[in-house]
Amino acid sequence: MSHTDFAVSVEGASKIFIQRQRSKNLLSSLLRPEKKEIKALDNVSFSIAKGEFAAYAGPNGAGKSTTMKILAGMLQPTQGSVSILGMNPAKDRIAIMRKLGILLANRTELWWDHPISQSFEWKKAVWDIPSNIYKQNLEMASELLGIGSLLGAFARELSLGQRMRADLAMMLLHSPEVILLDEPTIGLDIVAKRQMIDFLKLINKEKAATIFVTSHDMDDLEEMAQRVLMLSDGKIAYDGSFEGLRAITGSPTRLTVAMEAGFSLCLDGAELVSVENNVYVFGLDAEKLPINSLMQQLSNAHGVKDVEIRKAPIEQVIAGLYAEWE
Amino acid sequence: MEAKTSLKQFLRLLYMSAKMDLAWLLRDSKYALICMVVDIADNIAAISTVLLIAGRIGSIGSMGFDEALFMMSYSSLLNSLYIMLGAGNNIIISRVIGRGQLDHMLIQPLPLITQLATSGFAPFSGFGNFIVGIALMSASIHRIGMSITSLWLLSLLIYLIASLAIIASMSYLSAIMAFYAPVAAEEISSTAIDDAWPLSAFPLSGMPAIIQVALLTVFPYGLISWFPSMCLLGKPPLGLSSYYPVAVAFVLSNAAGYMFKKAMNYYTMKGSNRYVPHGFRR
Repeated sequence: MSHTDFAVSVEGASKIFIQRQRSKNLLSSLLRPEKKEIKALDNVSFSIAKGEFAAYAGPNGAGKSTTMKILAGMLQPTQGSVSILGMNPAKDRIAIMRKLGILLANRTELWWDHPISQSFEWKKAVWDIPSNIYKQNLEMASELLGIGSLLGAFARELSLGQRMRADLAMMLLHSPEVILLDEPTIGLDIVAKRQMIDFLKLINKEKAATIFVTSHDMDDLEEMAQRVLMLSDGKIAYDGSFEGLRAITGSPTRLTVAMEAGFSLCLDGAELVSVENNVYVFGLDAEKLPINSLMQQLSNAHGVKDVEIRKAPIEQVIAGLYAEWE
Repeated sequence: MEAKTSLKQFLRLLYMSAKMDLAWLLRDSKYALICMVVDIADNIAAISTVLLIAGRIGSIGSMGFDEALFMMSYSSLLNSLYIMLGAGNNIIISRVIGRGQLDHMLIQPLPLITQLATSGFAPFSGFGNFIVGIALMSASIHRIGMSITSLWLLSLLIYLIASLAIIASMSYLSAIMAFYAPVAAEEISSTAIDDAWPLSAFPLSGMPAIIQVALLTVFPYGLISWFPSMCLLGKPPLGLSSYYPVAVAFVLSNAAGYMFKKAMNYYTMKGSNRYVPHGFRR
């Protein structure tokens, strides 16, 4: 496959920033400032097929936002090449922007002192969206994101969740083929998050839009995406499924045991995570501590009222990985 | 290569900006009224000092009261066009650069120049000053007894465009600093324009030649109102050609365009380490 067959293609991209260091000596800081080279991206290569829903994760400062900005044409890589739908963001910015939707965390494209409907009309004029497409997308976004009642409100009067929904709706008005989302669920409550996730999944499924999303919330990412790219120190540390990611760190499992009053519990091969109101939570690796051995220990224990075994949340898996990388 | 914008699209964008300007102004009738009254009062206050001195002593420098009035009317008219075309920080561009907000422009499917030319169009916000400028100019022309021809009106239009181009060029040239020092230079464009506006409307006739030359070359504030007004009155100063402001506007705007493009390349390589959501767009 050539890079034109992919929605997003990044080949050997590196990005180096020069950071000025403040020294204690003011004069030398002024005349000969110390500079430090920061490698935000280090020879990163990946591609995303058309219609794919891929997640991009990594600890703070790993280079996620830098990648997003490079893909959106706001930054150019120091080395390597990037293409969106076979086009170079640095050279074909305008053509790409007609097919690309971008939503960056904590930024809004809405006009602050105008009603939401006015921002949408502005977008229609700037993107030159045909009236029938605009109407169709507006109706769909209004229904699925529940923004119908917000159209007359000023952007500055909206809550964060409402604003994010309005921003998402506005981003989709021109039917983008590729969507880049940088932390779209940050700061959202559980209802707003649910609405946004469901909507993105629907857009990916029904409109075949390629979605590339970053988030710190791994559970959200796992629910949305089929594939995850993990970034660490500017390098791709993992590229594959969430199941595969779990396999790397063994099979982390959570065991919750409710005990009768006056009884305590200790399990060999399991680590006690918390105890509250006689409910014991253990963390264990199911590959190292097989389930039959675990059940045997539990049946020998006295005062066991209830038992629950679950896969560890992906957050725990990732936390373990981040700790390893550090 | 950035794609070109069709005239139809350009006009549609202007229409959208005008529509939003009207909606913004009328979002509250009391606010709209206060806004217009304050703008007009501000404009009249800016020109009244010179006019009062000229009225008290009959002239200022070697300019008579009526000539000074004409220059002030030109300045008012220019000020109204500046408000009408630059309401969205598209002329005070160092704010957009310094606040890291250029990213918002880079994700629009339009050439940057089209966005900059259309996004600040606010014909209703600046209309009060435009009326004041027209009224003052009509009064001064009547007092001077000048006959107005279509060629003179065309010259007025060309000079206003040249003056505006000089203002925008000075703003853009100084705004280059904001690419390299975003925090320190965020307001450098407004310092270059707003703070120097009184100087640009000061009658330079009668000042020592060295000051006149300096204000027509190194710091071209004399080209914003004084020189074009004198040309329109048929008295180009210092024996210079009446095309001089147009030539300077051409050179300055090309220099500003070239430098801005270079700085934009720097921006896309280095990025902005600062983003201020407050004040985005208005």
